[in-house]
Amino acid sequence: MIRFFELYGKRLLTAVGVHFLYVVVSVTIAFVVAILLGVLLSRVPRWARVILPLLSIFQTIPGIVFVGILFLYNGMVPSTVIIALTIYAIFPILKNTYVGILEVPDEYIEAAKGCGMSPIQTLLQVELPLAMPVIISGLRMSTVYTVSWAVLAAMIGLGGLGELIYAGVSSNNNTLILGGAISAALMAVGFSLLIDLLHKLVLPRSLRRDAL
Amino acid sequence: MILFDHVSKKYGDKPVLNDVSFEIGSGEFVVLIGPSGCGKTTTLKTINRLIEPDGGNVFIEGEDISQMDKVKLRRSIGYVIQQIGLFPNMTVEQNISVVPKLLKYDKARCSKIVHEMLELVNMPYEEYAHKYPYEMSGGQQQRIGVLRALAASPPIVLMDEPFGALDPMTRSILQDEVRRIQRKLNKTIVFVTHDMDEALNMADTIIFMDAGQIIQKATPEEMLENPATDLICNFMGKRVAENEAPQTAEDVMRVSFYATSISRGVRESVDLMARKGVDTLLVKNPDETYAGTVSVKDIKKYGKEYKKIEALVTRENPVCYIDEDAQTSFDMLANGNGNYVVVLNRDETIAGIITRTSIAKALADVVWGDSE
Repeated sequence: MIRFFELYGKRLLTAVGVHFLYVVVSVTIAFVVAILLGVLLSRVPRWARVILPLLSIFQTIPGIVFVGILFLYNGMVPSTVIIALTIYAIFPILKNTYVGILEVPDEYIEAAKGCGMSPIQTLLQVELPLAMPVIISGLRMSTVYTVSWAVLAAMIGLGGLGELIYAGVSSNNNTLILGGAISAALMAVGFSLLIDLLHKLVLPRSLRRDAL
Repeated sequence: MILFDHVSKKYGDKPVLNDVSFEIGSGEFVVLIGPSGCGKTTTLKTINRLIEPDGGNVFIEGEDISQMDKVKLRRSIGYVIQQIGLFPNMTVEQNISVVPKLLKYDKARCSKIVHEMLELVNMPYEEYAHKYPYEMSGGQQQRIGVLRALAASPPIVLMDEPFGALDPMTRSILQDEVRRIQRKLNKTIVFVTHDMDEALNMADTIIFMDAGQIIQKATPEEMLENPATDLICNFMGKRVAENEAPQTAEDVMRVSFYATSISRGVRESVDLMARKGVDTLLVKNPDETYAGTVSVKDIKKYGKEYKKIEALVTRENPVCYIDEDAQTSFDMLANGNGNYVVVLNRDETIAGIITRTSIAKALADVVWGDSE
């Protein structure tokens, strides 16, 4: 164990850092884009009934295929990885935003209108806050998935924890494989806990899961 | 003042409002009532433009609301819905200050309003202001729902079956509270319900609707007295039936009374009064017809001079016939002519008497229904 850190410590640290950045950057972009799209779709549920199933089919294309194709067009730059991860991370958040907003009971929308809220005020003060628990659970799903998809970055030589795993596989070095895999797993758990914390900080006690 | 001028609304081919015109005065408590689908809720929602009419106009204080900004209009009208609709992501304080905040009142003013509002329904600020809706009972939630509607002091408040989901006890408490608040703050309230008790209890004016039209607009008393159609009678239920035929003297008189014959002696009559605990007796002629009354007061005064009561019999007490309207007897008693009215059959024999107690009982029957 100690020998592992002596040997690969520095390499592991860089890999964890790069991996972490990939996840944070792409999930953040995905979160913003997904909420915007989700809100737009919720205004026109008729389109959503077509667009969402299409997106979910797209989601079934293996990440490795998509990264490969994007690599051909975009080259070996970090933005290739970020774009691919972002696109994959959008869908769970988008779907939950849409569903979360649509599930807000009519009585609250009617009350908001009756109080004299404009559509944008209704969205910001009532619909989004009420949809937030569902949106956050979409965010959790996205983040955990992205941690594992980011392993693919190494496939096109762009680092991250995948690099350790690939190196381990090609050199038959089990320690290296485990080092990368366990770090990735720990990172996923870490993000999940972080989002739990966010859930507690952002939501009023009336909207936390234990209250509902 | 709210004015509906030939307002119509259709959903597809089905008319829900059919040329509706009426007027609501300032400070009036108006209840819209009728069977489901009669258009009462649609009428209510055209006032704050949650529903736009297809034809006709609605005016508030002389201004055509279709020309006003929807959002501004709604901020100037309170709105309470049946499902309560308190925002679950907001505390009581935040819920009450929704409209003041939309109107960009500063923090101090909002906080002052919240304090005043909670005081209005006797819910201490410290205890309730920071609770979330799910932490309160349905009755408490709807109190806050009403306060949210009142917070920005709108002159008009719309209520759409606000107490429909509450238990009967809570409902009647809230009815009284809303009525009290309405009088205190002098609001114009338009209130939708399908419960006639609620309407009679709260309304200054009841507007009865059916099939998108107004069938009758009247005060609760008028509607009880002269319901315009059978449908309204049905809604009123028993309360109207009691009132249909005017009561006759026979309906309200009591038949237990104490009579004596004109040929009896004074001493004998005093004994009878003492035994029965009364201070007057009805006196019959030998042929059983009514002769008059004799009172213990007169006997005390003159009794020693006479052996027979004949000389003491008076006809001072008011008299009526059995088939006459009870109202006449009530009036005679109310004007202080004697303590009771003697009711006679058409053959001049005694049928019964009407006392003040009979009046009270007859009134009670009207108010609470025929209990026995």
